[in-house]
Amino acid sequence: MSAATHVLEIDGLTLRLPRTARPVLDGVDLTVGASEIVALVGESGSGKSMTLRTALGLLPRQAAVGGSVRVAGEDVLTMTPARLRDLRAGTASMIFQDPRAAINPLRRLGDFLTESARINGGAGGERAVVRARHLLAAVGLTDRVLSQYPHELSGGMLQRIMIASALMNDPGLLLCDEPTTALDVTTQAEIVALLADLRNTFGTGMLFVTHDLGLAAAISDRVFVMYAGRIVEHGPAGSLFGAPRHPYTAALLDSTPRLEAPSERLAAIPGQPPDLRAPLSGCPFAARCAYAIERCRAERPEPENGVACHRAGELVLATVREGDRPRA
Amino acid sequence: MHEMTGGADPVLRVSGLRKTYGVVRAVDDVSFTLDKGRSLGVVGESGSGKTTTARIIVGLEHADTGQVAVAGRDRTESRRHGRAERLRRAREVQMVFQDPFLSLDPRIPVGTALRETLRLHFPRRDGAARVAELLDQVGLGERAAAALPRELSGGQRQRVAIARALAVEPAVLVLDEAVAALDVSVQAQILNLLADIREQTGIGYLFITHDLGVVRCVTDDVVVMWRGAIVERGPTERVLAAPEHPYTRLLLDSVPRPGWDPGRVAADRRALASTAAPSPSSPDHRKS
Repeated sequence: MSAATHVLEIDGLTLRLPRTARPVLDGVDLTVGASEIVALVGESGSGKSMTLRTALGLLPRQAAVGGSVRVAGEDVLTMTPARLRDLRAGTASMIFQDPRAAINPLRRLGDFLTESARINGGAGGERAVVRARHLLAAVGLTDRVLSQYPHELSGGMLQRIMIASALMNDPGLLLCDEPTTALDVTTQAEIVALLADLRNTFGTGMLFVTHDLGLAAAISDRVFVMYAGRIVEHGPAGSLFGAPRHPYTAALLDSTPRLEAPSERLAAIPGQPPDLRAPLSGCPFAARCAYAIERCRAERPEPENGVACHRAGELVLATVREGDRPRA
Repeated sequence: MHEMTGGADPVLRVSGLRKTYGVVRAVDDVSFTLDKGRSLGVVGESGSGKTTTARIIVGLEHADTGQVAVAGRDRTESRRHGRAERLRRAREVQMVFQDPFLSLDPRIPVGTALRETLRLHFPRRDGAARVAELLDQVGLGERAAAALPRELSGGQRQRVAIARALAVEPAVLVLDEAVAALDVSVQAQILNLLADIREQTGIGYLFITHDLGVVRCVTDDVVVMWRGAIVERGPTERVLAAPEHPYTRLLLDSVPRPGWDPGRVAADRRALASTAAPSPSSPDHRKS
């Protein structure tokens, strides 16, 4: 794929915060193509939301940033504030986990939907309202909600409003930060079906942050697995989950309770993710990895063919689903 | 066989619970039993009444009608609020919530919190030894006793919440989405820990969750709640492998997996929502 077809291209992104012993993001490389759904998975604190937010230039104060983040070919990290505002108003938009926290409870939803267009668009409110009606139909809501307040709608309906609002200015890139985590599973299915439809209709590229591996496998074209601020493995969803090559990916799959697995002890990953206050040497997963050797603790593995593991070439990682993986 | 095996003297018996808030029937004629040392899952989406049911069992809400009996003793009848009575009821059933950070006092070290619970319930026993034993039981070292909640990780805090619930040696532990906020690797540790504790102590679990994978993993039997009523019940393995009620099928179909068709799930959901209010399941009702 050439660079021109990427709606998001993150290259060697590094982010340091004061009073931390290691970078929060440590050499992240990631791309999202037009009409592509890319999932970014990992545990809390792995840096997945932080990565997502850099695409809108939303950086913590005092952050020291290196590398580049290009949205539609333009580097976000060197943009002027005015250009950043345009980016957030048009090219890229974001859906947050909790729509109730992201929508002003005191304003009618019609105001919320057309606000950005009225402020930035210049074309005026009339066209914004037409667009809002069109998008409400696309997300399965009626015009009636335009005059309603957020408290009158359920969480699932509000998340549809969030999605409609994110699409108001026809963005090429949609950033989704756990958009269904707060919803019931049956509602989640509706929202995911909607996002997949919108991708097909509008050709929007999506970066989808989730900790739900099953969801990532079901909806995405490609998956990036993040651990301690680094991408440890990436690849097409089918092959990554069917035949994981990084021990962390395999361990994550094994520790997930499954519907079809026998009800016995789960293969839990011992220990905890590394603390930001402690420096890291070697592979960040080495301390919890069943396959770690001396080299893993001493030397940082560089990504090669989509996996950052010294032993990727020699390990054969079957997941529990195949039933032949030895238990720790 | 569809009826849950009701033993001779279940440790928990819930019969005919009803609770309405205005016109909303939050809990609508809910009955089930939990035998000693068994684990019963309660599944359903938000608003299905599962948390209200749990809160009635623990005593945080009063039912309009119906009974909750622990070890044959009615909890709902007595409205006395004396200290001894309250403590006795607390020793029957304990609850672990989703967010341990909200259920622990941020200013009190973990060991002190446990000792306080012990002193309240067992004033004559040696607290210090029991605190060490409890921390060990939930896989925390003695060093954790000196820690404040904010110095612990989410998984460690949930271990503390479990230790505090176990401190009073309850017959039943109600776990309300107790692993929902944890990352999968930590969630697996806590689920394994809960399995070990049940094996060692013979405690009964009432496991409230929306995650069917978790239900599959930690429960023997399951009841499915929809719009306040139980629509399906049975051994977990049977219900998940061969669901009979359309709502149970919808829940199962909603779990994302490769080849998943969320569009079909969404259509099924709308079809189900437009049907009339459900009648509580009769065990022999089989859809083919």
